[in-house]
Amino acid sequence: MPLSDLTVAIDIGGTFTDVTVQELATGQSWRAKTPSTPSDPSLAFITGMNLALAQAGATAASLERVLHGTTVATNLILEGKGATTALITTAGFRHVLDIGRQDIPRRANLYTWQKPRRPVPASRVLEVTERVAAGGEIHTPLDEDSVAVAANECRRLGVQAVAICLLHSFANPSHERRVAELLRAALPGVAVTASIDVLPVVREYERSLAVILNASVMPSVSVYVARLAERLRAEGVQAPLLLMQSNGGVAGVATIQRAPALTALSGPAAGVVGARAVARLCDVGDLITVDIGGTSADICLIKNGQIGLTQHGRVGEWPLPLPMVDMVTVGAGGGSIAHITRGALSVGPASAGAEPGPACYGHGGKMATVTDAHVVLGHLPPSLLGGKMRLDPERAADAIRREVAEPLGLSLHDAARGILAIADSNMVGAIRVVSVERGHDPRDFTLVPFGGAGPLHGVALAELLGITSVLVPPAPGVLCAEGLLTADLRAEFHRTLPRAGAPDDDPANALVATLRDDAEEWFNLEHVPPEDRSCRDVALMRYRGQGSELDVPWTGRSIEAIAAFHARHQALYGFAMDSAVELVTLRVEATGRMPVSSAPILNALPMPPPTETRVVHFRQGSIDTPTYDRDRLGAGTVFSGPAIITQLDATTLIPPGWQATVHPSGALLLKHIPTP
Amino acid sequence: MTHCDPITLEIIRGAIRAAQSEMEALLERTAISAFIREKKDFYTALFDAQGVMAVGSNVPIFGDICGPVFKHFPIETIKPGDLYWYNDCYGSAGAVSHSNDQVFLAPVFHNGERCAFVMGWAHFSDVGGLRPGSISPDATDIFQEGIIIPPTKLVDQGVTNTACLEIFYRNSRYPDTCRGDTRALMASVALGAQRMAEIADRFSPVVLADALAQLLRRTEDLVRQRLRETFPVGTHRFTDVIDSDGQGTGPVHIRFALTRTPDDRFIFDASETDDQVRGPVNYLMNRDVPGTAFALYFLGGDPSQVCNAGGARAFDEIILREGSLLRPRFPAPLGMRGMTMMRVLAALNGLINVAGGKAPAAHAAYVILFVRGMANENSFLLSDGLGVGYGARPNADGIDSVYFVAQENYPVEFLELAYPVRLTTYGIHRDSGGAGEFRGGCGIVREYEILADTGTLAIRIDSVQNPPWGTEGGKSGGTARCVVNPGRNSERVLAPLSDGNELRHGDILRIETGGGGGRGDPFDRDPERVLRDVAEGYVSIDAALSQYGVVIADDEIDLAATREARAVRPLIRAFHRREYVDALV
Repeated sequence: MPLSDLTVAIDIGGTFTDVTVQELATGQSWRAKTPSTPSDPSLAFITGMNLALAQAGATAASLERVLHGTTVATNLILEGKGATTALITTAGFRHVLDIGRQDIPRRANLYTWQKPRRPVPASRVLEVTERVAAGGEIHTPLDEDSVAVAANECRRLGVQAVAICLLHSFANPSHERRVAELLRAALPGVAVTASIDVLPVVREYERSLAVILNASVMPSVSVYVARLAERLRAEGVQAPLLLMQSNGGVAGVATIQRAPALTALSGPAAGVVGARAVARLCDVGDLITVDIGGTSADICLIKNGQIGLTQHGRVGEWPLPLPMVDMVTVGAGGGSIAHITRGALSVGPASAGAEPGPACYGHGGKMATVTDAHVVLGHLPPSLLGGKMRLDPERAADAIRREVAEPLGLSLHDAARGILAIADSNMVGAIRVVSVERGHDPRDFTLVPFGGAGPLHGVALAELLGITSVLVPPAPGVLCAEGLLTADLRAEFHRTLPRAGAPDDDPANALVATLRDDAEEWFNLEHVPPEDRSCRDVALMRYRGQGSELDVPWTGRSIEAIAAFHARHQALYGFAMDSAVELVTLRVEATGRMPVSSAPILNALPMPPPTETRVVHFRQGSIDTPTYDRDRLGAGTVFSGPAIITQLDATTLIPPGWQATVHPSGALLLKHIPTP
Repeated sequence: MTHCDPITLEIIRGAIRAAQSEMEALLERTAISAFIREKKDFYTALFDAQGVMAVGSNVPIFGDICGPVFKHFPIETIKPGDLYWYNDCYGSAGAVSHSNDQVFLAPVFHNGERCAFVMGWAHFSDVGGLRPGSISPDATDIFQEGIIIPPTKLVDQGVTNTACLEIFYRNSRYPDTCRGDTRALMASVALGAQRMAEIADRFSPVVLADALAQLLRRTEDLVRQRLRETFPVGTHRFTDVIDSDGQGTGPVHIRFALTRTPDDRFIFDASETDDQVRGPVNYLMNRDVPGTAFALYFLGGDPSQVCNAGGARAFDEIILREGSLLRPRFPAPLGMRGMTMMRVLAALNGLINVAGGKAPAAHAAYVILFVRGMANENSFLLSDGLGVGYGARPNADGIDSVYFVAQENYPVEFLELAYPVRLTTYGIHRDSGGAGEFRGGCGIVREYEILADTGTLAIRIDSVQNPPWGTEGGKSGGTARCVVNPGRNSERVLAPLSDGNELRHGDILRIETGGGGGRGDPFDRDPERVLRDVAEGYVSIDAALSQYGVVIADDEIDLAATREARAVRPLIRAFHRREYVDALV
């Protein structure tokens, strides 16, 4: 039977490009892996796609959807390699960006801290004469001559992108829109972006940064996306290209070209969506995901299957208040370096990266890393990636002995366990902060570890948090592809009221109606069929005087929203007040449902024999531990730790005291066995 | 196990840091006053079972927080579920140094055994007193600076003394704000106490106690070692100065002497500091402050170290003189002590520098202002804090335009939505950074158009007569000023530390804040950096030539002319304040 209704998901990582082709009706999938091509990532994209299609025996023309997670914007921001950008701002406020929030950060040392250089230096900040007053009234009309002067200056500076952020534009965007229009006309070929199109909310510093980051990645992302679309057409693909955004949903090329900064956390968001999909197949709705890579761990809490969004996110050094999956990043990963200063051991945030990498890689790395600790304790097999990569236990032991064990007078194994304990503890601290900020007790959740190093740490983290169940996805190392295949189209439309105040039903509902119109327009743009469209109206509210808001459902009646606000404040922070409640922002969250494939079912198989038995040095002692090949574990298989499960993209460590069950979806469910 | 191994120590330290983050997040999200939630004037700390600060915040301004509570409530009488509260400066020997700052302190118990204390501290925007905002340059005694709460048991084993709180709220001009901030701070401390109890439970109180003791010892050892490396045997002296108390007295000198004895005892002596003053710039300095500030400097940016009471323990003796600016007698006013505190920190840097160390040059003191008045028949209180320039470091420029650790500005859009003002400018105060191979940080310019019907301005600016010093050839920072209606016929420059300045609808209030001192000979500054400073609006073309000997024409460096301009160098000396001197006196 010929394959029908195929979807392809392409996730481009730093080293490899992972491609999955999936048939919707059966859920059957084919995977391919090809080296990434950083100079033009679309090359690996096409190569990988054709490899996977060949495996499936299908043609490019038979694809119905092309889904893509990209780190192009992320890397440009993190490496400060965006386009040369100018910022246009209101006269008198050239240095708003340099001043920032005027603080030495709370955790910084005032004697040594240095203010980070801004992505746009003040020499490229240009002022135009205009002023919108608080509330949106025009105080000084726009002087178009001053815009012409700024345009000339942009030409002289040779900028490739222009960001516009004028004071109070969220309350009255007319000046910003006009400046954008004039500059687009005056500067052909230059990417022009206005803050109102990226982030129409109060606070000029954060809004300036958002629009600058957006502008600076716009040329590269535009070129990249356009080239990709072109190559896909050349390959005979007629399906639309959809890209993963930081909010955990996908969107089409037009949306991304207008606001490329929406993809700043595309990769991590895709992983979280994938983790949710895997958990859903196991009927788990309350989960904490921990995505552990080489240098960092991303942590996200999902309640009732709902991925929370935040506008307090950061990308690298910069606050980026665009809606993004609410997660916390800590500098703890497989490559994190253990070091001793003045008798104190700490782990990370410095990382050995991929080159030279941990000492055990044998690429010249001399520092002791988290991965070396795993090797020393026997957690990792002698080779990874199906034998493509050897691990050298001697080098790992040397590094840990020299860097940690001897200076602290510890045994090799105690030193290695110590490194892991500190890395785990850093992650646990972040998980607790995530939980309390959302008002939850982590013990009520299932931990879902993923990423290359996640399943090595999952049970240890769970034990520290008092969590009794851990779910290891079928392919923990390539969960982003899973996320792409299960993501919906998503967009948020929001508007901060010109002045916060007591909510008034009629104007609020009128504003929601406008936002809904915007959402409908977007649905049309994305060709979402009417039956797949859904919108959720949200009110962001606070007690009068507070500075941050809580989101509650907007039902059209403020009395209900206020009641919901009091209840949520009580639940989150432990108290509610009789004070007046203000409505600050209204938001419409638009979702275009994507078709869901049926899940493949794993066959039942007898318990396979171990591929090997190795000594693993647990806290409880050194124990002979069997290693199993994950591909040979059938549905319904139940076994107890200690055990190590190997697969191509990850290794799972199951210590004594835990029992594993293979779920029909392929997930591995680990349960703590209560000690009598 | 009674001993905490190095690994558990690191884990406990991380867990305490995470608990602090949780407390801060809760406070920031729920507090009502802009002072706390937008400016973020709040801190947290954690103490051992005896009340010794083991993990503080990165600010050197705290003293012995728990001692004052124990004096009224002996430590053995403290019970689970208690909460203690005070803002009493004199009653706490300066642990709190003006009455706006409220301290909430909760004990932590494990199986009935006391194992820690947790503190939340925040600046409340109005606690009564002479003027809205509670602090005014006009104050002449501390009773004019708001209600005084002696160490008080606010919650007795879970039962809150609500009457006590109601009296407090009734004394504020903004009782609802006060009520909201109190609830937020109490919730934050309760959360911190719960987290500490969990940590004690996880590691056992004995291990926790040992961990905290090690953290203290680690800091103390480090500070002692660095003190020995920095200060040769003998007495080292440094003098800095504040311009005025705003009520006719000044300049007022802060004189420090640090003695290292041949047997390595360290004695810090501030007794030669000038007498206390009538105006509210007296700084009741807790005796732990110098050691804590040194500790913070010596710890540098090392993320594995924590700021705690260990620094203060590194000193064997602290000598303060009753009746002096730093040890005023009750009830001298203290409200505006921030500028003196900032000068104390600069003078401590000076002590390190005279001994040959490499502390930053002097910073300016952050500027605060209050505008109180009527708009649309409603009274309002705008309190704003303005950043300044910090001193140049041996390897880096001073920080431009920051206020202090953790405290943020009011965004322009927020300010205009909340108060009857419109800003016309918010930017860098050009040429205010002291020249040097490493430049002092620049201050800021903030210009407000008054939209209120009437307003009265209180302003606090220091270092106009005595700008922040530069060192090793670096020059002193630029000075601050406050001017109404610049460029108009009605232009008037206001006294830097003054209250009762009347403002009218339509007036322009312009404030330029001071810069930090420079470090190293300005003629040694890389001309490219001077060019960049000019392009970015930090240094004028004129100053590039007059201060740095760099000739810039058409956005480029004229290399030949620069060489010529730099050929003859002025003779530099150890310090600079308007002119080069061998010592500041």
